[in-house]
Formats: sequence, structure tokens, C-alpha cells
Amino acid sequence: MSDSPPPIPHQPNRKPIWSQVSLVWLIPIAALLIALAVAWQSYQNQGPLITIEFEEGTGIAPRETELRYRDIAVGLVEDVRFSEGLEKVVVSIRLDKEVAPYVDNASKFWVVRPELTARGVSGLDTVLSGVFIEGTWDNTPGGLVREFAGLPDEPLFRERENALEIALRTTANGKFTDNSPILFRGIEVGRIGKARISPEGNYAIAEAVIEEQYAHLITDTTRFWDTSGFNVSLGPTGAEIDFSSLASLVSGGITFSTFVSGGGPTQNGTVFQVFTDETAARESLFNAAEVETLELSVVFDDNVSGLAVGAPVELSGLKIGEVQTLNGIIDQNRFGDARVHLNAVVSIQPARLGLDGEVSPETALTFLTARVSQGLRARLASASLLTGGLKIELVDVEDAPPEAIALDSDIPLMPTTRSQISDASATVEGMFTRINNLPVEELLTSAIDFLDSASSFVASDGLQTVPAEVQALLGDVRGLVSSPELQNVPTLLNATLMRFENILKEIETQETVAKMVGAVEAAANAAAGVDTAIAGVPALITQFEAVAAKAADLPVDSLVTELAALAETAKTVIGTDDFEALPGQLGAALAEIDATLKTLREGGLVENANATLASARNAADSVATSVEDLPELMAQMTALLNQASRTVKGFDTGRELSRDAQDAMRDIRDAADAVSSLARKLERDPSALIRRR
Amino acid sequence: MSQRSAKEMGLVACPRCTKVWPIETDRCERCGKTLHSRSPKSLQRVWAWWVIGVMCYIPANILPMLTTRTLFRSEDSTIVGGAVELIHHGSVGIALIILIASVAIPVGKFFAIGFLALSVQRPSAASQHQRQILYEVVEYIGRWSMIDVFVVAILSALVQLKALASINPGPASLFFACSVIFTMLSAQSFDSRLIWDRHDQMKKSSAHV
Repeated sequence: MSDSPPPIPHQPNRKPIWSQVSLVWLIPIAALLIALAVAWQSYQNQGPLITIEFEEGTGIAPRETELRYRDIAVGLVEDVRFSEGLEKVVVSIRLDKEVAPYVDNASKFWVVRPELTARGVSGLDTVLSGVFIEGTWDNTPGGLVREFAGLPDEPLFRERENALEIALRTTANGKFTDNSPILFRGIEVGRIGKARISPEGNYAIAEAVIEEQYAHLITDTTRFWDTSGFNVSLGPTGAEIDFSSLASLVSGGITFSTFVSGGGPTQNGTVFQVFTDETAARESLFNAAEVETLELSVVFDDNVSGLAVGAPVELSGLKIGEVQTLNGIIDQNRFGDARVHLNAVVSIQPARLGLDGEVSPETALTFLTARVSQGLRARLASASLLTGGLKIELVDVEDAPPEAIALDSDIPLMPTTRSQISDASATVEGMFTRINNLPVEELLTSAIDFLDSASSFVASDGLQTVPAEVQALLGDVRGLVSSPELQNVPTLLNATLMRFENILKEIETQETVAKMVGAVEAAANAAAGVDTAIAGVPALITQFEAVAAKAADLPVDSLVTELAALAETAKTVIGTDDFEALPGQLGAALAEIDATLKTLREGGLVENANATLASARNAADSVATSVEDLPELMAQMTALLNQASRTVKGFDTGRELSRDAQDAMRDIRDAADAVSSLARKLERDPSALIRRR
Repeated sequence: MSQRSAKEMGLVACPRCTKVWPIETDRCERCGKTLHSRSPKSLQRVWAWWVIGVMCYIPANILPMLTTRTLFRSEDSTIVGGAVELIHHGSVGIALIILIASVAIPVGKFFAIGFLALSVQRPSAASQHQRQILYEVVEYIGRWSMIDVFVVAILSALVQLKALASINPGPASLFFACSVIFTMLSAQSFDSRLIWDRHDQMKKSSAHV
């Protein structure tokens, strides 16, 4: 038996429920709570996921490539995958929460890669660290957008910059260097972005930005020109080489200047032309070329050579533009044949149209549209007869079929009319052919023969004696005049005139003048009758035309032949014996005259003549009094003519008819003038009637 | 020969001075240590530490263990990811060491402790001796799991070449250290005497039958 240990008083354990649980449990519970809190917080802080589509994903790696804004990481690429159909690369980016509201529609994203250009190296840090995605957005939160299309290149304009956005375009057929700096006094003040070609291919256009602090340098009157390359000039000061900067020499550059003050500030989106050099830019300022030109397309049915780029476009003889591009088009559906049609794109300076108010291509188009509806058409015309160069003329065509400027294509299409090309060479050639066909040699031969015959006739003996006989005749005449009988002629004339006077007095008493006035009135009535007679004029004109046509048909050749025949006949006539005998006959005639004069001398003719002359003077005096009534007669004649003229004017059925009537009128007027001058002469010198001048 | 445990004999030993007292004694009268026949709530503490150990082990594997920063790029590597990368580079040995020290041992410990804790609550196929050995191995080997943390600490201290290259411990190293610590606490909380109690109860019940 062993001693059992003394009983030790012990208290039964009454443990509360919480004491049966170990305190250590608090630690995992706390850890769990912390983990949950951290998880919840990180979920709360997690930014949204956006997706950006890129053409290609060079160097983009998930969980590595950052999204940067102002070169600070604001997101991380979570996933890179392809879009459906493997067309694009879709990059998912976890954005930081605080920038998320700013990533709105205006945001742009692009991949920054190392780039080596003539202007320097950019994105060097990405060579080793890998690419990153750069984003830009404005400073006002605009609500999150989750899907974007990435840009292939860095954009020229970033939202956060307050730069001036303009566009630069080349002149027609000008050249351009894109991605180049805009320099001002050698300082880079802006950049040109990527250029693109206009849809019609006639110029290149590129966006450009001017930094904010330099934006005030650009005004409406600013001119841009290309400074790329270098300029060598030889002048009185020697050779000169000029280039703005080495960078612009290599990569091209554009500079600008504001030649005149007073230009207004420029708005975003203004388009400026880039001229080839400073001179052109300066000149353009005064040629008002700053207004954008209106482009019109003109399609000519025939493809005529001679129209060149730069050829003038004229309206009423004024140059309003020039041909910009030329090409041929074949469009079976449009023209109905497979021929090549000449398509010319012309640029029209709205400023040269002299329009009121705003000068813009739109107003110019409105103006031309209105003119086209009134018959304005484009046509090809000869610019120079010598070179055969062509120009485009805008002319009003009468009775033109209604057409309008077609606005459905890119460039408004101007309707055309038949070309007026004077083919100078053909006309001149035809003239020369006709001259060539003339029988000039035969004519000359005949003429020479004729002259020979004439020469022999003049040299004939008979003709040589004529002067001596004429001299004798004159001697006889002198004797006759100096004879006393002839001295009495005036007395006789006087008597005759006295008798005349008596006759005229009789005439006066019988009121012959009044009768004449009546006669003239009757003539006026007759002229009124001409009104009706003129109705027959068209027929008459038709006859005239027929006659003219016949006259036109008369062959010059045959005329010449007849001339030749005539000359031949003359020659034979001259060659006849009768002709040879003519001098002798002339001498006989003179001898007869001589005899007659002798007879005259013996007769008292001269005394009679004297008496007659006296009468004639009296008669002339009477005529003078009667002629005083002539002015009235004249007035009536004038009235008659005016009436006739009115009648003819009223007869304006057609221009040609009118012209013919006018011709007739003119003839009548000429006749009247003759009458008038006669009357005036009589009034001035009534004795002329007597002296028969 | 029948074995009887001290508990069955109504005795309790002082864990500090090893003096044996009647089981009702609350405090060792010699050294003043509180006396427990079995550690109170031992299994609860084992499970609590075990749970937090496992919890810490998850981020230790997900988060990067090392952050290597060279001139222009930084690279994060997790434990397993780093080991796989080493295998790809041909360093299979080092990769194995890392995998054993950082993956095999911690995971093995979780299973071992969990198995031990379960085996004292319900019948187990393993004998008491085997389980005792398992417990001793866990106790012994647990500290070696810290080798990974040491490697990270040493590398971070050595490779600090300013901008050229630097190695910094990632957040996983902290979680991994915590996981190892909590696992060791879990192992320590286990009262190995429980292994034998269970056996005795089973025997007793079988004897009664």
C-alpha cells in the first residue's frame, strides 16, 4: 500500500466561453481584415481600362510599356492583342484614376519611338528602355472614353498647347517639304506636319502650327515661302550664295514675312500659300493672289494642241485666271464616244472679276453661274497667230442652248461652246495658191507687146507732124480772137440775154415756181408710196444677193483672159493700116477746122454772140429771183427724206435688210446732197447756170 | 508492460525546473512557473498560426520577390518565376535549391503541421513514433526556410550600384519571412504530448472492449 498524496484542495475550473478560445486567433483575423481592406482599397484605386488601336505594335509589351502624359507615367499596358480579323493591334491600358476623367474624345495617343531625322534625334531614351505610348488631352475633364484609335505619328498639335493652327498649300505645280520647321529670322517658330496631296493632285497641303508666343506674327497679309536648298546669284556685287540654315538646307524649311502692315489677326484653320521664293511671295501681295482661287473644270470636245499650263483665261479680253492643269479624259458614258477629251482645270482669281462686297471663290462661282445662265460659255481661242498658242475665252453666246455650271463633281464644270481657232496658216496658204495660179506671165507678155506697139505708133512719121499743124491751128485761132468781128460778140450776147429775160418774165407771170413746189409735194407723196414699195425690197435684196453670188462666181481667171484678149485686140487694131493712116486723117480734120474758123471770121457771128450774152445776163437775173424759192423746196426735200429714213428704220425686220435699206437711204441722201449742193451753188452764183459750169 | 502517462497518474511536471507536482497544482512552488498538464488551447494556437502562415504564403508567391533595376529597365521576379528563369538559363542546381528552400519546405511544413494537428483529433494510420519524428523534423527544418529571405537581404545589400544596377527586395520577401515565422510559431505551439495521449485513449478504449 502506498501513501496517497494528501488531497490538495482545488477549485473546479469555471471558464467563460471566450476564455476557451485562444487569443492567437486574433492575428489571422486581423491579417484577413487587413488583406481585405488592402484588396478593397486597391480595387477602389484602380483606374479604368482603355483600349487603343494601333496599326502596328512595335515594341509594346504588356505590363511594361507605359502610357505617359507630359513624360510622366499615367498608365500601364495590361494586354496586347489583335483586333478581329488581325487588322489592328489593340492595346489595353490601365489608366491612373486621377487622369481618367481628362481622357475624353479629344485625346490622342501615339507610340514614341526613337527617330533620326535631319533635324536631330528624338525619342532617344526609348532606344534602351523600350517604347512608350504618349497621350495628350486637354485640361478640362470631359468624361472618360474607353476606345481610341492611335495615331501613326506624333501629332503636330497637342491639345495642351495653345498654338495657332494653320494650313499651308503649295502654289499650283509648286513643291513642298513636309515635316519641316517654320523659321522666322532663323528661329524656329512652328512646324509643318505631314503633307498630303489634294484630291485633284494639283497641289499639296499640310497642317502647320505656330507656337503661341509667335502667333501674333502671322496676319492676313503674311506670305510664306520656301527657303529650302540654297540660292546662288551672280550680280554686280559678285557671286552670292545664300541659305538660311543648315537644317533647312538638308530638310527644307519655310519662312514668312509680313510685307505690309495692317493685316488682321489670323484664325485657326486659315490656308496660306507657300511661294517658291521671296520675290514671288512679295509680288503676290500686290497681285491680290491671297484670295483663294476658284477652280473650274472645262472639258473641250476636241483635243487641240496649243493649250498649255499657264495659258490665260479671259473674260471680255481681261485675264481673270490661268490654266492650272491639263489632262485628257476618256469617258464613254459621259461623252458617248471613246475619244480623248481635253480637260483643263482653270483657276480664276475672284479679285479680278471686280465683284462688289466679299471677294471669295463662292461669290465668284455665284457670279459665273448667273452669267452662264445668260449664255456665258468657255471656248478655245487663238492667243497668238504666230505661235499657234491657245487661250480660254469666256464669251457670251447668243441663242445658246441653256446649260449651267455642273456642281456635282469635285470641281465645278463650265459649259463650253465651239472653239474659235483662226487657222492662219491655212488662209495664207490658200491665198498664195490663188496668186500662184494667176496667169501673170501671159499678162506681162501681152502688156509688153502692147507697149511695144504703142512705142512704134508714137514714133511714126505722121504723128511727128501733128504738133506743127496744131501750132498753125493755134495761130489761126489767135487771129480769129483778135478779129474785130469777135469783139462784137458780147453785144450780140447781150441782146440774146435780153430776149431770155423776156422769156423768164413770162415764166414768172405764169407762176411756174409755184407749180414746181407742187411738183415737189407730189414727189413727197410719191416717197410716202415708197413705204409700200420697200416691202418689195427683201425680194430685191435676194436678187441682189443672187447677182452678188454670180459676181462672186465670176472667175477672175477668165477676166484676166479677157483682158489679155482685149490687149491682143488692141494690138491688132493698132497694127492695122487704118490706124497707121490716122495721123494723116487728123491733119486733114485740123485743116478743115482751120477753114471753118476762117469762115467764122468772115461772118458776123461774133456780133450775134454779143447780143445773146446780154440777153443771157438778164435771164440769169430772173433765175436768181426764182431761185429764192429754192430753200423752201429744200426743206420739203429734207422732210421727204426724213420720212423715208423713218420708214426705213421702222423696217427693222432683220439686220441685213436694214443694212441694205440703209445703203439705199444713203444713196438717196447722196442724191439729195447733190441736189442740195447744186441748189446752194445756184443760190450763191446764179450766173453759173448761164455759164454752164 | 503498460505505459502510463503522468496525466493518468495525476501528476504534472514543471516545464522549467522539471519538478513533478500533483496534477491539481496551478503553480510550481519551486520556480513559480504556471503548470499545465497539457498546453491549453494548443491545437487552437497551432491552427491560428497555421492559417496566417498560409495566408502570408500566397502573396509571397504572387508578388515579386526581387526587383532588379539595370540601366534602363527594371525587372520584377517572383520566387517560382525566378527559378524557372534560372532553369532556362541552365542553372538547374540553383533553381532546385531555391525551389526546395522556398517552395518544397514551406509547403511540406504546412502539410506536416496540418497532418499532426488533425492526427491528434482523430485516428491516424501513422504510428506515434513516426509522427513524433515528423514533428521533430518540422521543428528542425523550419528555420532553413529563411534561406530565401537571407539571399534577398544579402543581394540587396551588395548590389547597390546607384543608377547602373540595383537589386531591391520586393514585397514578397516580407510576406515570405512572415510566412516562415508564423509556420515556426505554429510548429512550436504544437504540444507533442498530445500525440501520445491519443494513443493511450485508443488503447484504453480497446481494452475496455
